[in-house]
Amino acid sequence: MPWPGLASQVAGMLTPLVVLAAGCGPATSVVSPAGSAVAGISRPRIVATTTVVADLVRQIGGDRVAVDCLMAPGIDPHSYKPTPRDADRLAGADLVVASGLHLEGKLAGILERLGDRRPVAIAAEALPAEDLIAVGGGLHDPHVWFDPKLWSRCAPVVAEALARVDPAAAETYRERAAAYATRLLELDERLRSRIASIPPDRRVLVTAHDAFRYFGRAYGLEVVGVQGTSTESEAGLADINRLVDLVVNRGLPAVFIETSVSNRNVTALCEGARARGHQVVLGGTLHSDSLGGPGSNAETLEAALTRNVETIVAGLTVATGLEEATGEP
Amino acid sequence: MSVGGTGPRAPAPAPIIDFHDVTVAYGRRPVIWNVDLEIDAACLFGIIGPNGAGKSTLLKAALGLVPLVGGRVRFFGQPLGKVRSRVGYVPQRETVDWDFPVNVMDVVLMGTYGRLGWFRRPGSRERLLARESLDRVGLADLASRQIGRLSGGQQQRVFLARALAQQADVYLLDEPMAGVDVRSQEGIFRVLAELRAEGRLVVVVHHDLRTAAEWFDRVALVDMRLVAAGPAAAVLTPDNLRRTYAGHIDVLEELGQAVAKRGRTP
Amino acid sequence: MMPFDIAYNTLVVAAGVAAVGFAAGVVGGLCVLRKRALVGDAAAHATLVGVACAFLITGRRDLPMLLVGALLSAFAGLGVLVLLRRFTRTRDDAATAIVIGVSFGLGIALVSGIPAWGYPDSAGLEQFLLGHTAAITARDALLLTGVACGALAIVALICKEAALVAFDAAFAAAAGWPVALIDYLLVALVATMVVVGLPAVGAVLVTALVVIPPTAARFWTDRVGPMLLLGGAIGLVAALAGVVVSAARPGLATGPLVVLAAAVVFLVSFFAAPSRGWIARRMQQARLSRTWNLAADSSPGPASGGPDC
Repeated sequence: MPWPGLASQVAGMLTPLVVLAAGCGPATSVVSPAGSAVAGISRPRIVATTTVVADLVRQIGGDRVAVDCLMAPGIDPHSYKPTPRDADRLAGADLVVASGLHLEGKLAGILERLGDRRPVAIAAEALPAEDLIAVGGGLHDPHVWFDPKLWSRCAPVVAEALARVDPAAAETYRERAAAYATRLLELDERLRSRIASIPPDRRVLVTAHDAFRYFGRAYGLEVVGVQGTSTESEAGLADINRLVDLVVNRGLPAVFIETSVSNRNVTALCEGARARGHQVVLGGTLHSDSLGGPGSNAETLEAALTRNVETIVAGLTVATGLEEATGEP
Repeated sequence: MSVGGTGPRAPAPAPIIDFHDVTVAYGRRPVIWNVDLEIDAACLFGIIGPNGAGKSTLLKAALGLVPLVGGRVRFFGQPLGKVRSRVGYVPQRETVDWDFPVNVMDVVLMGTYGRLGWFRRPGSRERLLARESLDRVGLADLASRQIGRLSGGQQQRVFLARALAQQADVYLLDEPMAGVDVRSQEGIFRVLAELRAEGRLVVVVHHDLRTAAEWFDRVALVDMRLVAAGPAAAVLTPDNLRRTYAGHIDVLEELGQAVAKRGRTP
Repeated sequence: MMPFDIAYNTLVVAAGVAAVGFAAGVVGGLCVLRKRALVGDAAAHATLVGVACAFLITGRRDLPMLLVGALLSAFAGLGVLVLLRRFTRTRDDAATAIVIGVSFGLGIALVSGIPAWGYPDSAGLEQFLLGHTAAITARDALLLTGVACGALAIVALICKEAALVAFDAAFAAAAGWPVALIDYLLVALVATMVVVGLPAVGAVLVTALVVIPPTAARFWTDRVGPMLLLGGAIGLVAALAGVVVSAARPGLATGPLVVLAAAVVFLVSFFAAPSRGWIARRMQQARLSRTWNLAADSSPGPASGGPDC
C-alpha cells in the first residue's frame, strides 16, 4: 500500500541491475601465462591484495604460481572496499598475501576472518618496529616498498609462505627470493646515484599524499605530502598554504602527482605558488600505492621505482629561468 | 437542472457556471456522480450537503484542481482556462500553513498576481487595491501582522480579501464559515451580499443548514449526486433534506423543523 | 591596508565557498518554504550514477564531462521524484527517500564495479561526492560564482511566483499558474547548484548549505524576502567562518568546518532570536501567564475579553 505502482516498478527494474553490477567480476585479474603449468599438478593459486605485493609474489614464485591481484592498477588501497566477489576470490586461494601495516585499510576485517581458514601472509611483518616510521597512534607508515633495502627483507616471508603451500619447490622459492633481494639491492645503488644528481638545495619531494617517507629516508630527500599517510583524510586550507610557502621559499621547480590519488590538491598548490610569482610545474606522475598497468613501463616494482626516480630527477633538476636571471635560490 | 429565471425563448446567454454530467472519482471510488447544474444569474448560491458528500470536490472540479472522470464545466460558456481572470477562489483554511512568513498584506497582494503576470512585482496600484479589499473585510489595521497571529475569523477574512483583490465576476468559496465565530460569519456574509449586489455570482460550499436558508438565494443539495437545486425555500424541504441527509437522522429532524419554520416566516 | 597577508589559496577558496554559501542559502530558502528541503540531498545522491556513466562512456576522468553526466542524472533523479509525487500516492518524504536510496545504490554499484571491470583510472569515483574544498582553484571559483549569480538572477525573477506556489498551491493553480512548471524550475535550480558545487565542496556540504541557513533565517524574520536574503547571508558567513578557521590551523578540513559554522548559527538562532527564539517564547509565555493570573485575581468572573475575533 505505501509502495504503489510506479515506485515498486522502478525499484523492481533497478534491483536486478544493481545486483548484476555488484557481482560483475574483474576482467583484468592478471594471471601467469597458462602454457607453463606443470603437467598433472595445478599451480597454487595466490591472491595478492595490491599490485606491489603481487609483483613481489610473481618475482619469487615465477611460473610455478598463478597470481591473482585483487586491486587493478591505479586503485587506491587505502580506500579500497572489497566486493562479495573479492571475498570469493580470497576464499578460493591457496595463499593470500597482503602488504600489511594497515595499507589495505578496509580489508583488515576480511583478512582477519580469512586467517582462520586459509593461509595469509603479511609481507611487512618481518620488519621490526624500529626500522619503520611511526605515524602516531601506535601505527606505522605502510609504504615500505619505496625503500628497496627494506622491501628486500620482505622477500623471505613470501618465500616461506609459498614453501608451506608448495613444499616441493621450497628451495626454488628461497633461491628466487635471495636473487630478487640481490636485484633490489642493486636497484637501490642505481637509484641512489641518480638521486645524487639533484642539487642538494632542491632535494624536496612534494607529492599528493605522504607515501614517500621511506623513499625520502633512504635517499636523503625531504618528503612532504599534501594529504597525510592515508588518503582518507581531507586536506585543509592551512596544509595547502603551508606547502605553498614551502615551495616558494625553497624555490622548488616541480611538484608531483600520483596515479592513484586525485591531483586536485597539488594543482591548487601549484596555482597558489604561481600566484606569488614562483614558477612551479607539475613535474610528472609518480607511482605511489600502485604499479602501472600493461604498457605503462612500470608493471614491476623495479620498473616503477626507476621511472619514479627519472621523473623526480627530471623535475627537480630543471633550471628555472627565473633562478638564473635573479640569482635567487 | 437549470435554476435560471423564466423568459422569452430567445437564445439564452451562456450560464455563468455550467456543470454538465460532472463525475469525479478517486481511484475506483466515485465522489461526485453525474451532476448537471446550471447557474445563470448573479446570486448568493449555496452548495449544501453532509460531510463527505463531495461539495468541495464539486468546486475543485470546476476549478480544474481535481481531474474529471466524466463531463465538463464551463464558465460563461468557455473552459476555465480562457476566463480565469473572472473567477476568484477562496480555498479552505486548512490547506495553508499559517506559519508561512507572510503578513496579511502579502497574502492579499497575491490576489493581484494573476493580472500582473510573470516576473512583474506588485506596484502602488496593486497595493491600493489590496488596501481597499482589506478595508471591505475590516482588516485594514492588521495589514502588517503575520498571518499565524490571526484568529480563525480573521484568517478567513484575509482569504476573502485576497479573492476580492482578484476583482472577479464569479467567486467560489469553500467552507468559508467553518471554525469562524458568529460575529465574523456575519461580517463575511455582509461582504458576500455586497458582491451579489454588485452583480457577481457567489457560490459557497456551506455546512450549516441553519444559516443556509437565511443567507442563500438559491441552493443545491448534494450527496454525491445532485438531489435538488433551486430557490432556497423551495429546495430546503424536509423531503429533500431527508433524501440528502439519509443516515444523519438527528440532524435531519432538528434542522428540518428549523428550516421549515424559517421558510414560513414572512 | 590588510593587517596580514591573506594567502592566495585562502582567498580563492573563500570566494568559491562564499558564492556557493550565499546562493545555496537563497535557493534553499525557496525549497524550505515549499517544504521540499531534501531536494538538494536527492540531487546530490543522484549525481553518482551520472558520474559513473559519463566515465564509462568517455573512458576518462574528464571533469567537465563528469559534471555533465552528474547534471543529467540529477535532473533524471529529480524527475523521477516529481513523477512519483504526481502519479502515485507516495508522499514527499517517502518519494525522496526512494530516489535517494535507489539512485545512490545504483551509483555505488556502478562505481564499485567499474574498477573491477578493468578501468585503471577509475578508482575513487565516489570521492567525487566528497569534494576537496581546500583545493578550489581560481577557475573553480569563477565557475561557482557564475552559477551562483545565475541562480540568484532566476530567484529574483520568479520570487513572487515561487512564494505563491509555496504558500497556497491550490489557489495558485486555480488562478492559472503552472504550479508543476514552477516546481520543476526550482528543482532544476537546486540540481544545478548542487552539481556545480560538488567537485568544490562536495555533496554533504552543498546539501547542508541548502537547508541549514534558511532554517536559521526563519527564526529572525516573518517575511519571505528578508528570509531569503538572510539565509544567503548566513550561508555566506558560515562559508567564510569555515574557511578562516581551516586556514588558521593545520589538519582541519575546510568543508566540514563550514557545515559546523552553519550549525552553530542555527543553534544560536534557535535559542536567541527575538520573538521566535526559544528563550523569547519562554519569556512571552511567562509574561502572559503572569498577566492572566493577575487578571484572574483581580476580576470576580471569568476573564473578560479575549483574543479579538
